[in-house]
Amino acid sequence: MKVLIVIPAYNEQENIERVVDDLIQNYPQYDYLVVNDGSKDRTAAICREKGYHFLDLPVNLGLAGAFQAGMRYADRMDYDMAIQFDGDGQHDPQYIEAMAAKMEEEALDVVIGSRFRDKKKPLSLRMMGNQMIQLAIQITTGVTIKDPTSGMRMFNRSMIREFAHNLNYGPEPDTIAYLLRNGASVQEVQVEMKERIAGESYFNLKRAVEYMVRMCTSIVLIQWFRKRRV
Amino acid sequence: MSIMLRTALIVISLLTLWYTARKIRKAQLQIEDSIFWMAFPAALVILSVFPGIATWAAKMLGVQSPVNFIFLAVIFILIVKIFSLSLRISQLDTKIRTLTQEIAIREKLQQEKKEKDTAASA
Repeated sequence: MKVLIVIPAYNEQENIERVVDDLIQNYPQYDYLVVNDGSKDRTAAICREKGYHFLDLPVNLGLAGAFQAGMRYADRMDYDMAIQFDGDGQHDPQYIEAMAAKMEEEALDVVIGSRFRDKKKPLSLRMMGNQMIQLAIQITTGVTIKDPTSGMRMFNRSMIREFAHNLNYGPEPDTIAYLLRNGASVQEVQVEMKERIAGESYFNLKRAVEYMVRMCTSIVLIQWFRKRRV
Repeated sequence: MSIMLRTALIVISLLTLWYTARKIRKAQLQIEDSIFWMAFPAALVILSVFPGIATWAAKMLGVQSPVNFIFLAVIFILIVKIFSLSLRISQLDTKIRTLTQEIAIREKLQQEKKEKDTAASA
């Protein structure tokens, strides 16, 4: 089983070295690919100096476009599984093994590294959005995804192809909802996530609210109109 | 429709036509995109020269006055135009994204090939 870790990175000069060096030293069984999303800082320079495997996008495409670039590469190089992995070090690679094992054993399309599969979701402002999206997915698909906003998701070979070549396949909960409704199998594996160590989080309150509203609208209203072409 | 309004519509339409023609001459506008900007003012000119059309259409649709029909028609046409532009932007966006990804992937594959070649020759 060939596994590719796709690491979209936008202005991650503080974190990228720590994240990738950990993968190289402790997890040589997996391939990784940093996707530098037109960063303005030294992300690309660091990757070049250290000889990392990386795609250098000449312009900034945003998370969806950067991740899709990784999926395109995975598709072309014929990887069996690809995992979406944060460049800021909040995801722990030790869980990849369990996720891959579950995907293989149960022949799943998507495996989500979930913070709340076996643990209770804390009652915080931030988790309210998470809960709302969980509810939206529940109502529209009948499936309970306890951590829909987790950014640690693993995809199988057919999903890689689908993500690589289609429009509106951002690595976000609305895509998961859409896939669920179209018969894809999605399961969760319990993981721990770390707080981001350096750099600035993309999420502040305003962005979090915007994100939640966009996701809920997309899941509840827009996804009905889509037609899946496989 | 008052004669003032008709004159104004004709003048503005002719100005639009002239401006569009200029953009084509300077090669700043593709022919496909210019067709709309030729046809739209041309239609306004026809409506101004033959006010009977607007009067008739207003009566048919139950619109109070012919000038209101003109507004309605213009708003409708512009909304359709905006939507088609939005569609175009989506398509362009997709193309740019694909190109960007493709450039990065090809660069990477080339790099890998080069490394393999130097390793083989060494």
